[in-house]
Amino acid sequence: MPIPSGKLAEILDVAEDGIITVDSRQQIVLFNRGATKLFGYEPEEALGKSLDLLIPQKYLTTHRGDVETFARGPVISRAMGSRRTVTGQRKDGSEFPAEVTISKLAAGGEVLLTAIVRNAEERKKYEDALLRLNQELEERVRVRTAELAERNLLLTQKTEENEMFVYSVSHDLRSPLVNLEGFSEELHVAVQDVETLLTDPRLPADLTAKARGLLESGLKEPVGFIRTAVGRLSRIIDALLRLSRAGRVVYQPQILDMGAITRRVVDALRRTIEERKAEVVIGELPRAWGDPMAVEQVLANLIGNALNYLDPQRPCRIEVGSCSDGPNSARSYFVRDNGIGIPSAYFPKLFQTLQRLHPDKAPGEGIGLAIVRRVLERLGGTVRVESTPDVGTTFTFTLPAPAER
Amino acid sequence: MTHLPLQILLAEDDDGHALLIERNLKRAGFINRIVRARDGREALDLVRAGAPAGTQFLLLLDINMPRIDGIEVLRQLKADPRTALMPVIMLTTTDDPREVERCYQLGCSIYITKPVRYEDFVEALKRLGLFLELVKLPSGPNSVAGADRQNP
Repeated sequence: MPIPSGKLAEILDVAEDGIITVDSRQQIVLFNRGATKLFGYEPEEALGKSLDLLIPQKYLTTHRGDVETFARGPVISRAMGSRRTVTGQRKDGSEFPAEVTISKLAAGGEVLLTAIVRNAEERKKYEDALLRLNQELEERVRVRTAELAERNLLLTQKTEENEMFVYSVSHDLRSPLVNLEGFSEELHVAVQDVETLLTDPRLPADLTAKARGLLESGLKEPVGFIRTAVGRLSRIIDALLRLSRAGRVVYQPQILDMGAITRRVVDALRRTIEERKAEVVIGELPRAWGDPMAVEQVLANLIGNALNYLDPQRPCRIEVGSCSDGPNSARSYFVRDNGIGIPSAYFPKLFQTLQRLHPDKAPGEGIGLAIVRRVLERLGGTVRVESTPDVGTTFTFTLPAPAER
Repeated sequence: MTHLPLQILLAEDDDGHALLIERNLKRAGFINRIVRARDGREALDLVRAGAPAGTQFLLLLDINMPRIDGIEVLRQLKADPRTALMPVIMLTTTDDPREVERCYQLGCSIYITKPVRYEDFVEALKRLGLFLELVKLPSGPNSVAGADRQNP
């Protein structure tokens, strides 16, 4: 049942939105109460007037053109607000953003255009606030990123300073150490010469025995201790020099054939591998990006460790493999052994300088894993460890994927 | 005692290092005269003073020295055509590639890391083509005191 036209006018009149109908000359023929609320004109002030009454001067030409185009076009209705900002002008001259839906109705040979107008000030306020918030957020992210970059730079500088310090201290320590090494060696040689002299049968036996005793406890033993200590000191200083060098040496990054590098490392360790009857399995290793010498050092340390801390209870097996995900993601490699393992309590100390878990198992100064971590850090990679005592250890390290070119 | 034409110029500021090197040179069978310079300045002066008399030097050159360091001595010697061909063995405290690299750049390819073992000397001298100056290695007691007695 069609709604009587009187009722329809009433419905239109109480609608919250402004409803405005114009004829083909763009003269207002309907102006409801919503429109009055929006524009400030009473219906009698608006009816019969040109639609231009409601449009700011500066938009008049464009707006009129748009309306005519729509009136002639095939489209029946469209939401104007979703296409562009429509601005309305109130009776007092103030402007407001409006969402406008426009529709076309042919009646009695004339085309009537009806606009449903909604004040978009609130929505626009929200949008603006959202935009501002977004900009603020972006700004904050930018500032924070800059802060982090600066802090990173400071940390890098700090690390480099530390390395420079370690380098110069170790370097300075070497000079007096050369005297200790050299002269304890001289003492050692002299002791041997005196020992040889004491075998001379012309010497009285009681004197020889006494001199031998003195030589043994007064010289040989102390010299032995001094040489051992000096040797250890020398190895520690060399280890520190190596570590500081790992941080300072200039890298020449290139595409890395990880398989070839690993085979080179394993070849260099061939003798130890055979001695310990170890089995080394090299899996498929994708290419990575880095300095070949530095990465060789990393692999040599990890495989060397696996060989040093194997479990004599079972045949030693070392596996070098890869667990990379995609072609462009960081490369991930592992060195897995079935050795004696590392208690998890020791993990925090594992990559620290001069820390040794099993000093009795193999010679070393506790520098290898510190170098591994430093080198990978410089190459833009990471390293982590998983281990179960009496089962084995897996070191996993990452390197950047080769740059696409 | 007659001196062989080739003299060893030892530029080393540390007395201990110098003594150890002299002992090891004797142990290696050297009977050449050893001249000691306590820094780079003295070393350059000795080289320049010896040049007119035709003295041939083998220079053992420490890197870290007061006044003029070994790198600068090497640079000056290589820059002067009269001394550019003088055989030089650098003495380094570490085998740091950076130290070694600087020596290479200046044209000295032979270095020994301290403390010096006499085998290293013999090897370095062979590379310099100077092994003719070696006498036979002393037999018997190894200490330098013993060696001295054998080469009065």
